Amino acid sequence: MSDERGRLFEDIAQEVFEPLRRYLSRRSSPADADDLLADVMLTVWRRFDDAPSGRELAWCYGIAKRVLANHRRSQSRHLRLVQRLAAEPRQEFTPDPADFGPDPELATALASLSERDRELLQLWAWEQLEPREIAFVLEISVNAATLRLGRAKKRLADSLAGQNSEGTGHKSGEGIQEPL
Amino acid sequence: MTDELRQRLARIDPASGQPPLSEKQRNELLERIMSTPVTEPTPDRTGRTWTVAVAAVAVLVLAVAGGMGLFGGADNPPVATDSPLELNAGEEDPMAMCIVFSTEELERVAEIAFEGTVTSTEGARVALAVDTWFRGGDVTTVVLNAPQGMEALIGGIPFDVGSQYLITAQDGTVNYCGFSGPSTPDLRAAFEEAFA
Repeated sequence: MSDERGRLFEDIAQEVFEPLRRYLSRRSSPADADDLLADVMLTVWRRFDDAPSGRELAWCYGIAKRVLANHRRSQSRHLRLVQRLAAEPRQEFTPDPADFGPDPELATALASLSERDRELLQLWAWEQLEPREIAFVLEISVNAATLRLGRAKKRLADSLAGQNSEGTGHKSGEGIQEPL
Repeated sequence: MTDELRQRLARIDPASGQPPLSEKQRNELLERIMSTPVTEPTPDRTGRTWTVAVAAVAVLVLAVAGGMGLFGGADNPPVATDSPLELNAGEEDPMAMCIVFSTEELERVAEIAFEGTVTSTEGARVALAVDTWFRGGDVTTVVLNAPQGMEALIGGIPFDVGSQYLITAQDGTVNYCGFSGPSTPDLRAAFEEAFA
């Protein structure tokens, strides 16, 4: 292995290591996140020659997304088997609003969205990606990413507004209840 | 408003307070990875079987012809393997798996979605040239294999060479119950809406 390749990988790793670790820890259990990170970094190591210049992080998120999807498929197969044996209803992993602490209203609203909407909003707000980068990660057009993100924001706002009208019995002028 | 929402969401980021891995841990991991040969052979998953609860036995084999080789690492997803991936199914009542068709369900059940033209049918294998990928891959050829015979493919839909089909799959298994079938304007419109 050339030293040059090693140096290039270290440069990329320096940039993406912690963002990828946070990405994975947001979407899996702490016990799994570091193992998944090792899988992602291994793929990055093998394939970083293919990384588009200037978009390395988004490219790595794409890899992480696939590794995570693979992990979930594996978990799902295992879960189906266990649940079949236990004859219990299927349960999906969904974020627990209690985990989000400081803003349970928003956490509840976020948890109420579809997985696709959540993923868009999380990529936007947690990974701080712009629509063109989100499009790259999700392998969709920039136009589709922009439209979907807009709809996801609207649904989040609607969910928050619904909570407020149920919870307080009056309209609140706070937060993000207006159309976005 | 948008910035406010973004900032508010960022405040509930569960990873925001996560301490970074120690330099020692990070370096150990990277060193271990860098000692891995770049050209290590892709694990061969041929022959590994996953039993899932659908009755229409469908085996989806994806022949990689392009960039999906990108993800040929240790945990390569089904669509990204260079070698045929065979997934067997078919133990339970197929009707138990049918759900009402909608574009939302279509989007939900499809890890893989494409439109392809049948190029050959040989025994229990149907080869399709992919015309459009809606989700999940960029290979140019997909092979469906029904070990129990052609009638088991996609709920008994016959495949004709030269005809176009819209196919979705999950866990490497073709979805039927209306979620795959001959390409019609209505089904194509549903695909375009679901995967916009």
